[in-house]
Amino acid sequence: MAAGFAAASVILITLLIGLRGVAAMRTTSDFLVASRRVTPLLNSAAVSGEYLSAASFLGIAGLVLKDGVGALWYPVGFAAGYIAMLVLVAAPMRRSGALTVPDFAEARLASPALRKLAAVVVLVIGGLYLVPQFRTAGLVLGVVSGTPYWVGVVLAGAAVSITLALGGMRAATYVQAFQFCLKLLLFIVPAIWLLLTAGGAVRSDAVHPAEFTHFTQETSVQFRVDVTLEVTEDLTAFSRDGEAVPLRAGTHHMAANRVLVFPEGAPVPQVRGVSPPGGPDWERPLLNLAGAGYPLLGTLAILIATMLGTMGLPHVIMRFHTSPDGRAARRTAAITVALLSIFYLFPGIYGVLGRVLVPQLYLAGATDTAVVALPTQVDSGWQGTLFTALLTGGAFAAFLATSLGLLIAVSGAIAHDLAPGGLGRLRITVIASAAVVVVLALFSAHLDAGLLVSWGFTVAASTFSPLLVLGIWWPRLTAAGAIAGVLAGLLASSGAIALTLFGPPLDGWQAILAAQPAPWTVPLAVLTMVLVSLRGRPPAWAMAAMLRLHLDEDRTPSLGDRALDRRGHRSAASPRRLLTVRRRVRRLNR
Amino acid sequence: MPTTRRSAVMSPQTRLAHSRRKLRGRWRMPRLDPSDADRALRNYRLQRKLGLPALLLLFGLLLGLPVALAAAPGLTELRLLDIPVSWLVIAVLPYPAMVLLARWQLRRAEHIEDS
Repeated sequence: MAAGFAAASVILITLLIGLRGVAAMRTTSDFLVASRRVTPLLNSAAVSGEYLSAASFLGIAGLVLKDGVGALWYPVGFAAGYIAMLVLVAAPMRRSGALTVPDFAEARLASPALRKLAAVVVLVIGGLYLVPQFRTAGLVLGVVSGTPYWVGVVLAGAAVSITLALGGMRAATYVQAFQFCLKLLLFIVPAIWLLLTAGGAVRSDAVHPAEFTHFTQETSVQFRVDVTLEVTEDLTAFSRDGEAVPLRAGTHHMAANRVLVFPEGAPVPQVRGVSPPGGPDWERPLLNLAGAGYPLLGTLAILIATMLGTMGLPHVIMRFHTSPDGRAARRTAAITVALLSIFYLFPGIYGVLGRVLVPQLYLAGATDTAVVALPTQVDSGWQGTLFTALLTGGAFAAFLATSLGLLIAVSGAIAHDLAPGGLGRLRITVIASAAVVVVLALFSAHLDAGLLVSWGFTVAASTFSPLLVLGIWWPRLTAAGAIAGVLAGLLASSGAIALTLFGPPLDGWQAILAAQPAPWTVPLAVLTMVLVSLRGRPPAWAMAAMLRLHLDEDRTPSLGDRALDRRGHRSAASPRRLLTVRRRVRRLNR
Repeated sequence: MPTTRRSAVMSPQTRLAHSRRKLRGRWRMPRLDPSDADRALRNYRLQRKLGLPALLLLFGLLLGLPVALAAAPGLTELRLLDIPVSWLVIAVLPYPAMVLLARWQLRRAEHIEDS
């Protein structure tokens, strides 16, 4: 119940901070990009807060428990994306003056069709990413406080949409920046406490992995999904009320939500298609994706998808538009690398401790609850309860912050690009899209959150990444080429993943390239863009449109108005000038 | 009351975005001033020239590490403070390296704009 209070207080704080953002808001720009007045440090905290979703807070540790140490490549790719962003995208993107990614596409290539297509891609990525966030909110709240699944989903949806509809991007910025600090604290302190309290034996076991073959103590397993167990020797388990359940050697089907208690010393049944934690495969620092062999290919596929995907995530790019100028956007990217690096030093600790203390979660298919399950294993008193509550609060902060950013990107795509309207329509769109996502999430409790999120990353990597990089650095890109490339990337990446989900079973390298198609869909999209562009002719203004993205803002207000007039524009960067303008406007309004 | 006209203060990029939004549908790309165009072309070339090595380093680090780990499986037996070295290579080593790379690239990119 304490954990329930922790989640409730995080929601409450979100709403309260959100109210601080309800300042003067008159235009779409105020709503979508916080009037572009966010300093690099605040912005990078907000970017990190938005980026550290449930996948980072709970998911990576769970993957380490399930798939082995190689899963730690995911966070490496997540952080590396911001270096690519820093080099290639951040400053020119901000200098485009766009409010959303589709807006940028139209500003660079003057094609309303491309803008609509880009908006649809934003909706696809946003949907794939948002549904798992709300779903995890429902599941985690259910696990810690026993509420039904829909309560968590609806609560998260309501908190996020009210904050956004009232305060827009400004509210989202404060909330996300605050939640980054909260998450950092709530992740690092319990990790250190766990390491200190767990004792020398557990610490030593953690770095000397042994295969999980026998239960070391009486263990209760609640199957979260339908699982087929392969029992190697006859054993007797017990149901929740102590009834003996004999399991003969062979395969047994376990329905979701069933509870079995395994006695101490019983051999651990195998789960079909998953290798038990702690084996020689587990400690190898490469990722054996989908059990297909080829660990090197699997690892490289993950790195490419996460790194390039980060560069194309619409809600992350949108945060860069809140910077006052291109230089601040670039700084934001650089600081974000450092902030994320601090956080990502810790998921591995939860993962290796989880393998020692809660290996049975792999049987239950509930490895992503490993982080919140750990404290009570180490301390059954008030400390364990307290740290479970803290970690739950952090997890809730994780999906609230991510949902805020995604929801504003989705609403921007609908109410600014697809069916342009004013501020009122944006606010209504926020509420409406949140409602749609809540309904979708209510029916997707059984979906694999990790799969949906990595699908979103792959779509971003194969559509927006090539579009942004070529749009910013290659003057010959044409609208036709961009449309063809985005379509090719979208269809190829979605098709490949749909094949994994619904198609015939594949194995070997084909399985890897279908489940993580980024290594071939990204080159396909780039190649399509280049070839189609080369067949056409870029318009006469193409070079000017591209160069405009590389023109740095005038940062020398001391030169005086004459110099500024010579450059043909006046800069908003000077606080002195802004004050003058405010004074004039006030005088006019009197 | 003074007769100063109210004029919006905004960067050229924002003005571009605004002027465009009024003409939804067909619109003309505004031209760059010659001096601005020269400055932008110089920035574009220099940033491209400096960005490439940073990107190569990033890709070399990220794609090189897994290859190195695959080529040297013995790193899992080797231990530092009782922790397998190969675990440290993926859990700790990349982060300071990436922070340094980001810092280095930021300095160089800003240096171009300062001169």
